[in-house]
Amino acid sequence: MKTSHRKKIKLALRYIAVVALTILFLFPIYWLFMISFKTANEIYAYPPVWWPETLQLSNYRVLFEDGDAATVGNSLIVAGVSTIFAMILGTICAYSLARFKTGGEHLANWIISQRMIPPIAIVFPVFLLYVWFGMVDTYFGLILLYTAFNLPYVIWMMRGYIMDIPISLEQAALVDGYTRWQVVWKVVFPMCRAGLFATAIFTFVFAWNDFIFALVLTRTDVATYTVQVTHYFGGQSNFWGKISAMSVLGTLPIFFIVAFMQKYLVRGISLGAVKG
Amino acid sequence: MKNKRPLSQLILGDRGFKYQLIAPSIFILLLIGIFPLIYTLLVSFQGITMMDNDTSFHGLQNYTALGTDTRLWEALMHTIIFTCIALPIELLLGLLMAQLFIDKLPGRQIFIALLVLPVVVAPVVSGATWSLLLDTRFGPINQILGWFTGEEVTLLWTINPDLVYPSILAAEIWQWTPFMFLLLLAALSAVDKSQLEAASIDGAGYWTTFFKIVLPAIWPVMAVAILIRGLDLFRLFDIVWALTRGGPGTMTETISIFTYVKGFQQFETSYTGAVALLIIILLSVLVIGALKKVEIAR
Amino acid sequence: MADLKINSLHKYYGSMHAVKGVDLEIPKGEFTVLVGQSGCGKSTLLRTIAGLEEIDEGSIEIDGEVVNDVAPKDRDIAMVFQNYALYPYMTVFDNIAFGLRARKTPKVEIEEKVAEASRMLSIDHLLERYPRQLSGGQLQRVAIGRAIVRQARIYLFDEPLSNLDAQLRDEMRGEIKRLHRELGKTMIYVTHDQIEAMTMADRIVLLRDGKIEQQGSPLDLYERPATKYVAGFLGSPSMNFIDGMVTENKVTINNSNHSLDIPEQIKNKLTSHANKAIIVGIRPEHFSRADIANHQQYSKLSVNIELVQPTGSRSYVTFRLGQNPAVAELRPQDLLGHNTTIELSVDMSRVIYIDPITEMTI
Repeated sequence: MKTSHRKKIKLALRYIAVVALTILFLFPIYWLFMISFKTANEIYAYPPVWWPETLQLSNYRVLFEDGDAATVGNSLIVAGVSTIFAMILGTICAYSLARFKTGGEHLANWIISQRMIPPIAIVFPVFLLYVWFGMVDTYFGLILLYTAFNLPYVIWMMRGYIMDIPISLEQAALVDGYTRWQVVWKVVFPMCRAGLFATAIFTFVFAWNDFIFALVLTRTDVATYTVQVTHYFGGQSNFWGKISAMSVLGTLPIFFIVAFMQKYLVRGISLGAVKG
Repeated sequence: MKNKRPLSQLILGDRGFKYQLIAPSIFILLLIGIFPLIYTLLVSFQGITMMDNDTSFHGLQNYTALGTDTRLWEALMHTIIFTCIALPIELLLGLLMAQLFIDKLPGRQIFIALLVLPVVVAPVVSGATWSLLLDTRFGPINQILGWFTGEEVTLLWTINPDLVYPSILAAEIWQWTPFMFLLLLAALSAVDKSQLEAASIDGAGYWTTFFKIVLPAIWPVMAVAILIRGLDLFRLFDIVWALTRGGPGTMTETISIFTYVKGFQQFETSYTGAVALLIIILLSVLVIGALKKVEIAR
Repeated sequence: MADLKINSLHKYYGSMHAVKGVDLEIPKGEFTVLVGQSGCGKSTLLRTIAGLEEIDEGSIEIDGEVVNDVAPKDRDIAMVFQNYALYPYMTVFDNIAFGLRARKTPKVEIEEKVAEASRMLSIDHLLERYPRQLSGGQLQRVAIGRAIVRQARIYLFDEPLSNLDAQLRDEMRGEIKRLHRELGKTMIYVTHDQIEAMTMADRIVLLRDGKIEQQGSPLDLYERPATKYVAGFLGSPSMNFIDGMVTENKVTINNSNHSLDIPEQIKNKLTSHANKAIIVGIRPEHFSRADIANHQQYSKLSVNIELVQPTGSRSYVTFRLGQNPAVAELRPQDLLGHNTTIELSVDMSRVIYIDPITEMTI
């Protein structure tokens, strides 16, 4: 009786802590979203308004009227296409590393270490090269860089997933009369569907959320939404409505994606170190 | 599930096949990784600046200049300060939060799902968000502080030299503590319950159990988390860029921001080439050392 | 004509020498069992036949054609894997049809063949299901169906029954044997289970340490093992090995006053071993109660029973002969208790004699 009473109090305290933490961590996101719905008067009101009068969408309308919202489309194109490339090329490379230990541990380690070099040190040489080839501010240039930057991640993650597939499934297909390439398409890819899906999502999010590559390699034609957000910061007058609305446009899709990804989140963000 | 046979076993006709598989990836990695690097190495021995497209051979001039560039070393120092403060706090907070969630709790999954949202927000967006939160007049943080002090608070969070570090750190810690939380929660959940029960039967206290059983068990995951976050912090750019652009002055300039300013605002191309190579060499040594220590995905 | 011929085959894994020179001929239509303990190279041998592993030395011929460099898909073999190797994302039908599709078989023909194979294995009602909806025994049948649906030259089985429980294993043994009779194809079956080997094989190839220890019909190996290893490997409970000395007409058992009479017809075989150490191998079933078997080819022993393990039809009795523990298989009606002394007879015509140095039978 006594212990169950104490247990209840403990649970209640934990609950209060959990709710408080959740509010604390969600508050900045709440604030961002709310500003995007506020009128200019509400944004620049003192003291700050916590709940806008009406959830009006004029900040979003402006983005679409100015054509700024197209930067979200640019993000979609470069993140989407580079994800597809990185997934296909990375997965077959991962298959080779996982099954045949191609290049041994050294190649695998070199590949993952490519991921860990600071983007600024990658993008500067690439920028020089792109200037040379006239590839600055092109979809192709950005897609190529995102593909290259995400490849190590894809290879590393898919290597882990492929190592989980029983090898006899592939051997059975070989004996049954399939070629090695057919085995990759008909057995390996379907067998790691879940891993492919999860890895693709993360690859997409990395490219989607990237700022520094896009900042350096885009001007106007293919600027992504992250670059566009920072364009509204300027001197004394920050366009808060635009900043928040553009941020929400870029963030909302990611939230939806992540909601379906809970199962793979831990493995994805820990570079496969935690199977979760 | 482990495969019983050695994975390296060769099947007939594999010799060419395994290289066909890796060829496209390796080609792209070399194209983007190595080729520009060689070009940069070349450039770094020249004297190209915004004013002067001087491609003559300048020898190690840019590299010797690195040594005396106090702004560079300060930027490195700032980066290290950010890392050394943010990382332990994120780790500790993440661990505490994970402890809070380890036992059953109604709605546990929903809370976890909500708590990890900051992790997937674009860092530049979280920087922007925090600059809105921290605004002197229209931001809610000064407002909330005002409730406690009873008078109007007008702290200049992103301008006042005493407050810029706490501001940036707040945004950084807000965004990445959930990352630590998620990983450590997974690690804690994987701790063998029977070991904990055995320890409690043996009469071990909370702290003994934590240091002797829990900590060693979660250490591999913790090491990976520290490695990933440590490297992320070393490249810190987006959040700082959105909040202070390295200012006031160069007070919060990180190594990434310094490189960006040198290369893309002051157009000291050859010198930036030398900086980029320095960073790559520094990081490669660090990463290779760390990878050997940490069992990342075994 | 030999369907499969293996000539001095070697296989290395790094520094590990997994197969050390195997020569083997398997005639068409025969059911051959490769048996041995884990790590003896039997699975490796099977996989080299399938082409799943490259060989380092020697050659493999199928139908007179050297297939060393032929890819698995062109060897015209079918294989059943230990863990079934079924594709979880395909229905049973698609799993069985998988191999036929690789060979661009017309759709109508695929349907006919799958229907026929699934009928033979009584899984025709499961075709629309997915592997996760099936029991272990059903999975096993699907895996076999996948192999037999193809008209392959050789069928390979890699420990297919080891994941099943004992009862299902008995059932599937019969099933596979029946399939072999109906199809009349060459089948090579790998197992570590000597009972599977004994019950299923036309011919057993017993491997040890990467080499063939002995091959022949099951009864051949059982009755006339070439080495102590073979003698001990086959049979359950396994053969009793008793250390002794050859003296004139007898083998005296070390550290005891027991002795066994050597029958006339064997005496001259043992003359070269006179006054030397020898190991006598006696199968448990070759003991019997003294009063029952009373004939000149029987040797009498008086032993003290340490343990009785009744199984219903037979009772296993443990006792000591010298320092060696021994097991006798007796009828349960021979009413036995612990710590009683009984008289046993040994059928000396069935006993084998082993040279303790070479471990070869004499």
